[in-house]
Amino acid sequence: MSFIIILIKSIIIGGFVGFGAGVGAARMFHAPTVQGMGSFRTLGELNACAGDAASHFSFGLGFFFNAWASAVGAGTFTQDVSHRIIPNWSATVWSRKGKSVEETLHNPKKMAISGTVIGIIIVSFLNLTSAAIPDSLQAIAVKVLVPAANLLINPVMPVIFWLAALDAGKRTGVYGTVFGGLAHLIMGNAVPGIVLGILIGKGVDENGWSKLTLTLFISVIILFVLSGFFRGFDLTLLQQFRLGTPQWLQLLHNLFGAGGK
Amino acid sequence: MSQMDEKIENVVSESIESSGEIDTGNLKGFWYADWSFPIMVSILAAGVFAGTHMYYVHHVGAFNEVAVIALLQAGITGGGFGAAAAFGTSFLFARILEGSLVGILDLGGSILTGLGVGIPALLLAVNFKLPLQSFPLAILTGAILGLIVGFIIIGIRKFTVGNSNSTFGADVMMGAGNLSGKFLGPLIVLSACTASIPIGFGSIAGAAIFYYWKKPVAGGAILGAMVLGIFFPIGIK
Repeated sequence: MSFIIILIKSIIIGGFVGFGAGVGAARMFHAPTVQGMGSFRTLGELNACAGDAASHFSFGLGFFFNAWASAVGAGTFTQDVSHRIIPNWSATVWSRKGKSVEETLHNPKKMAISGTVIGIIIVSFLNLTSAAIPDSLQAIAVKVLVPAANLLINPVMPVIFWLAALDAGKRTGVYGTVFGGLAHLIMGNAVPGIVLGILIGKGVDENGWSKLTLTLFISVIILFVLSGFFRGFDLTLLQQFRLGTPQWLQLLHNLFGAGGK
Repeated sequence: MSQMDEKIENVVSESIESSGEIDTGNLKGFWYADWSFPIMVSILAAGVFAGTHMYYVHHVGAFNEVAVIALLQAGITGGGFGAAAAFGTSFLFARILEGSLVGILDLGGSILTGLGVGIPALLLAVNFKLPLQSFPLAILTGAILGLIVGFIIIGIRKFTVGNSNSTFGADVMMGAGNLSGKFLGPLIVLSACTASIPIGFGSIAGAAIFYYWKKPVAGGAILGAMVLGIFFPIGIK
């Protein structure tokens, strides 16, 4: 029974994702006039295979085995399914000798059709073969994966992002450090703060303080204030600096049912 | 590797330049228009969000890297959704800006990580599980979110095209993101070695073989741990 449910869901999901990935990839070739959807590496790789059916197919195949292993082991396909396998195999379907890429790879309608079919096949295959693995075995994968993921979340990722911010220039480094540190205090993880620091730092580096960067800066401040409030950061801060909590602040927190120990 | 990157970069910039010269007269109708873009994002996002539903319910079927899904998994098993939510949504934010400015929306950051991991983590963090538990609702939620993202991008495009060349440091973040993905392989081996000796051996062998085959070490480490786990199971507490 669950086999059939997974199959039906996979067909729907695969069709949707395949359609989007296919049409988005084809539209990329007409960017920036037409808004595309995919990624720069996909565009480069598709161009490198240049409408040759065999190259497109074997390029996708290499990543297919990788995606399969990842689906069986960790239950996730890797981004390669939508970035590489679907676009390349969709191109394979139409590529014939003597046909130009304009008629095949660059045509959103054709790529949408083949993408839908390829997506259905790939997603159903990956989901059904992985779902056949017993639960106890997947539990092992999770048991190994979760501690590793926790280490990755803290402290590995904060450090890497922080160093990247420091290396990306003085302004990015300062904003990354300040927002990163604050984020670790308020949200318990520095990564979002550092990412926003890079966003603002680089934005100002390249555009100056335009309307866009200023809006960005203000929204980040609002984000920090709100998440600080809802996590009861202000109450803990006052308490740890040994300052009393004003009555109205406590009331405000009670009103929203937000945090505070 | 770097040579390859350079090659790709050249091809990309060439194709962008050449595509800029294409006669825009032919690029009309549903398949090329701006108005149809939100619909396309919506369809894709519906599938991706439903993929996360699959992962939540059937433990298979998410469309993302192991490292990113691991963030979500850590939340599901009780470690808090803060990291996944913040990571996913900030990527979504950056990619929407970048996508509308350069004309190519990065699927990985915006839809796969942003809508596929960030938003679900946000929903789960406030204990709103329904959109992830029910398949039709997952499709609907994804479709609506995708539509919103699509419209925002087309909107920004209308107002700012030619106004700004900044990528807002997306390259820096992408570099850091890829680098942290690389850390996961060794970390999985380390945690497998702490789990039990046979599983440790399995993941070491798997990682070494995958490295030799030039495949990602993380995948080999997990598969190796599972293979030895068949013969020497460990209890799940």
